[in-house]
Amino acid sequence: MNYDSPELREQLAAEYVLGTMPPLVRRRFERLLATDPELAREVEDWRTRFGPIDYAAAAQEPPERVWLAVERRLALGSAPVMQQAAARQGVTRQGWLGSLAFWRIATLTAAAVAAVAIFYLTVLTPSSPPSVVAILSDDHGDPGWIALRGAGRNEIAVAPIRAVAGDSGHAFELWAIAGGTPHPLGLLAPEPGHPLMVQAALLPADGALAISVEPPGGSPTGLPTGPVRYTGKLLPREP
Amino acid sequence: MTESPLLLQELLRKTANGDAAAFAQLYKHTAGKLFGVAIRISGRGELAEDALQESFVTVWQRAADYDPMRGAAMSWLIAIVRNCTIDRLRRQGTRPESHTAPEEALARLASVDKTERGADLRALQACLDELEESPRRAVLLAYLYGLSREELAVNLAVPVGTVKSWIRRSLDRLRRCLDS
Repeated sequence: MNYDSPELREQLAAEYVLGTMPPLVRRRFERLLATDPELAREVEDWRTRFGPIDYAAAAQEPPERVWLAVERRLALGSAPVMQQAAARQGVTRQGWLGSLAFWRIATLTAAAVAAVAIFYLTVLTPSSPPSVVAILSDDHGDPGWIALRGAGRNEIAVAPIRAVAGDSGHAFELWAIAGGTPHPLGLLAPEPGHPLMVQAALLPADGALAISVEPPGGSPTGLPTGPVRYTGKLLPREP
Repeated sequence: MTESPLLLQELLRKTANGDAAAFAQLYKHTAGKLFGVAIRISGRGELAEDALQESFVTVWQRAADYDPMRGAAMSWLIAIVRNCTIDRLRRQGTRPESHTAPEEALARLASVDKTERGADLRALQACLDELEESPRRAVLLAYLYGLSREELAVNLAVPVGTVKSWIRRSLDRLRRCLDS
């Protein structure tokens, strides 16, 4: 279909908002919408035209079970606990065993402990004490991801402390930030069991790690295109 | 709607940062209105509940996509709920037999809403009134109750092709009327 014709674009935007597009056409249109700000504006114009109908809808309280289902599906139940923990503890100490804050947070919930245990066993041989390379936290200081290095190893493992809510339409991409410039390190799995292994040599001596939300397959430009959700300073190497 | 648009915008911004408490607040402030929209479109409580649940999962995952420059937070939320509800309707394939006549439903909404939005609604109603009866009905049944082209064809006893061209022409006339 020729999406350059202004009449057709206008028509598609209107039918999209009206809701009469067949499902497959709608999916295709939505993909187009994500990359075409002009079209997005036309859709927004149509939402404004029809919007008064929905704003006038009579509010009706949904049953409690709807919210409970949302909370369960997104595993929000443990989030406040983690947030409080992060607020109480400044996560600054380097070193695995030395990182009291990390241990306190990790022991807060059984789920977190299990996640860390799986991570530990999957990634690091128990005989080599690992050290924390970075803890990546969100805007509220809630730690979400951890980067670990085993003694004598040239690789860093990066994984979430607990499963992170995601969807198939987005990917988490890891970046090394040195001197303000991000370098892509790879795509992360949102579960603790599948860490991303990164060559230690790729990390700057002084800098930070960051995680942004990108299209599936990663940033098409080699620079972060989506919001940066987590950041963490690279901790100094232990002597 | 008594909720401050700025409050919703702020809650949505915090939600994008993974703030579960802000997300819960956002739900508290908007779920009633959004559930009302889902119920009106689907005509069924159970489907509306599922659609609302799906919508808020989407809101949590996509909050970062919301751009305040593009429109009010509530419009963004309504669009998600409309999409989720219509998706579910299409998947189920069956519809409740009867609705309130759409012109009547619209008139009732317009008479209740005394706000500025009510004035917008009455302007929309006036432009809809300029359309011929059947094309107007097609547009209203689609927007109010989420009918597909095929369902509209059955409902209005015309071929799908006729529905398509009615909708196309009606939307074009509607745009010109509202923008003038």
